[in-house]
Amino acid sequence: MPDRALEGLTIIEVGTRGAASYGAKMLADLGADVIKVEPPAGDPDRALGPFPGGEAHPDKSGTYLYLNTNKLGVTLDIATEKGREVLGKLAAKADALIHDYPPAEAEALGLTYDVIRAANPDIVMTSVTPFGQTGPHKDFKANDLTMQGAGGWLWINGWPGNPDMPPLKAYGRQPSYQGGVNAALATMGALFGRSRGGPGQHIDISIQECIAAILEFVLPIWSYMDTRVVRYGQRPLQPIDTFQCKDGAWIFVLCIEEHQWERLVDLMETPEWTTWGVSENRFVRASNWDALRPFMEEWVSQWNADDLYRAAQARRIPFAPVSTLGELLESDHLKARGFFVEVTHPEAGTLKHVGAPYKLSETPWEIRLPAPTLGQHNAEIFGGRLGLSAAEIESLATEGVV
Amino acid sequence: MAGPLNGIRVADFTWVWAGPMNTMQLAHMGAEVIRMETSNRICAIRMLPPWPKGEPHPNRSGYFNQYNQGKRAILLDLSKAEGAAIAKRIVEMSDVAVENFAAGVIDKLGLGYDELRKVNDDIIMMSMSGYGATGPEKDYVSYGPAQVPMSGLSSLTGYKGWGPMHVGMSYGDPTAGLHAAFALIAALFYRDRTGKGQHIDMSQWESSMVVLGEAFMHPVMNGASPERDGGHDPHMAPHNVYRCAGEDRWLAIGCGSDEEFGALCGVIGKAALATDARFATIADRKANEEALDAEVEAWTSAQDPFEATEKLQAAGVAAYPPLVNQEVMESPQLAGRDFWVEHEHLEVGVRRHAGIPWHFSETPLSVKRAAPVMGQDNEYVFGELLGMSSDEIAGLTEREVIK
Repeated sequence: MPDRALEGLTIIEVGTRGAASYGAKMLADLGADVIKVEPPAGDPDRALGPFPGGEAHPDKSGTYLYLNTNKLGVTLDIATEKGREVLGKLAAKADALIHDYPPAEAEALGLTYDVIRAANPDIVMTSVTPFGQTGPHKDFKANDLTMQGAGGWLWINGWPGNPDMPPLKAYGRQPSYQGGVNAALATMGALFGRSRGGPGQHIDISIQECIAAILEFVLPIWSYMDTRVVRYGQRPLQPIDTFQCKDGAWIFVLCIEEHQWERLVDLMETPEWTTWGVSENRFVRASNWDALRPFMEEWVSQWNADDLYRAAQARRIPFAPVSTLGELLESDHLKARGFFVEVTHPEAGTLKHVGAPYKLSETPWEIRLPAPTLGQHNAEIFGGRLGLSAAEIESLATEGVV
Repeated sequence: MAGPLNGIRVADFTWVWAGPMNTMQLAHMGAEVIRMETSNRICAIRMLPPWPKGEPHPNRSGYFNQYNQGKRAILLDLSKAEGAAIAKRIVEMSDVAVENFAAGVIDKLGLGYDELRKVNDDIIMMSMSGYGATGPEKDYVSYGPAQVPMSGLSSLTGYKGWGPMHVGMSYGDPTAGLHAAFALIAALFYRDRTGKGQHIDMSQWESSMVVLGEAFMHPVMNGASPERDGGHDPHMAPHNVYRCAGEDRWLAIGCGSDEEFGALCGVIGKAALATDARFATIADRKANEEALDAEVEAWTSAQDPFEATEKLQAAGVAAYPPLVNQEVMESPQLAGRDFWVEHEHLEVGVRRHAGIPWHFSETPLSVKRAAPVMGQDNEYVFGELLGMSSDEIAGLTEREVIK
């Protein structure tokens, strides 16, 4: 009986842009056998860092180390005919292939469903790309900033009432992560269907659509009220705001439901402004927030952030700390749950990694392997799995294919 | 051909956004999702806008209707023993149960994992909560908007020299919902092979940090966290959101290589910049980023953002305007991709909603029906699935179990 949820599944990842890496990591961390195919120069994430001590090294990039746990790594130049032949052999023995090359590049590399299906008619092939496989913008160049724009997310974030400040990007590579989690989800669904007799197939995922699908109430504001949204999310209710406290730390002040507000008023000892008509309910407070905000700010500024957080939560008011990464690494709650995990890598040493997004009682999420060094598993995969002879591998290496 | 989860049934106890986001993914793949709701405590997002004409009504919220597409809904008061017993009968005929009540509530209702296992020993049950089911803060209350500051994302997001910012939406909810749906299908896959169900403890706080994995490597490796830097990127320049002609119009541009920067210089009519020593390499451009941004914005500020996008893309430069909601819904790129859903809804008629971002070649997926109004599927679930007579249903309604 398998111990891991996805034990026995073999996934080929051909990823260079974060999305495929993250999607394949999700499958690997629940037990799938993931073979990551990198170009001979390595996944560009190997150059992104951060690096210990700031010294660049292809096996020590923090971005790469995080996104590629539990994978076996091979190098293969799929721009060559021989490289493609080897990829076909890998695909022939796999259950799924996930890649994130945009359509024109994928076509040039022979990374199309027609080609992959010829090698394995039952395979699930997932292409996760900025705009998908069709449409007038399918070949547009893109990155995480422009994709936040194309999905409608960039517009809604920024500083209200200050038109001089541009729409604000959420930190990091969020569109790539969204593409990744959608790739994992859709691939998993198709594999489940296949295990019950369904067909192999191609899945076309558009990151633009992945973003448009998570915009909270932003799109229906147009289709229900013909209203164009303004930045900062057009908050329909208040308080939902961030303030600085006496100790310089920040707190997120939040009341979703009216009973939470009532308990907050009680905690504030019912200042006069909370009794005015403009504070009457969450929607009215939102309409008048510019006027009310300074009162809240004044009250919050008398507290230290952690004291206020605990005092609010003691009254079941859903305030939250604006945590720094350093504070999170030291959180007692996260420590008690074992959220951060230590991973030992042959080159980078032992480092804490962000851990599991879920705890499964029977089939735990676990790190079995650190991210591979460049070409670490070439001999094991090309020789052991594909049965290429040492001479054949040597010849591919000489030609620069592996 | 049917979707991959055709034949899977989900007993859906969720509310607000994260839980419904999760179960909608399962519905997208063909699962039958049965929402159990009560008018004693109406789902929080039924009571959030937008509503047609701005008139509040629990059946007409565009927010609710976006994230509950394709599901069925019944009225059932779980706080009554008779209601909880009926919920167990639904669980008995389901494969998956999902809840996101505050910690401890599901156990008080007598519907915790140990109880549900008694009626369905291979049920896969997921509990989604802000802080997770264990740990010293497990009883704290949390909602999606709070996951953004709690995860560290706020501390990293903001204009240079300004305070931490939100990201404009309750990002923790969909991120949790999507990860949750993945874990549930993985557990179904395992159950098919072993006959074993399981319990899944899902913390929204934690699932909001997994999308910041590389950011945490900064303090882990070198002690310091990245500083807030607006639209800039440590590895690309120019990389920012630039003012365009017109009121509050902008364009996002990012050059990932010297070649792309050279192409940009050509398009903006400043070819000399490409050979300017201040901008020769990525390191030079980062060191002189303010001057570089000013050069780019001098061009964009006289441009229409959509026309500028076409010009830059023709030269191979990544550029796209920050689309306003109307522009997303009228996007020519999205128009031909079968993404939008326009089903007739019982109370709001035909309204455009975002659909499924995965396009399956052999078993095309589709949203089966508009989001349900409260109790829309009482007849189907109580009558057809549970086999109750109309007298029984009337009795339950009279005793306010169906309410």
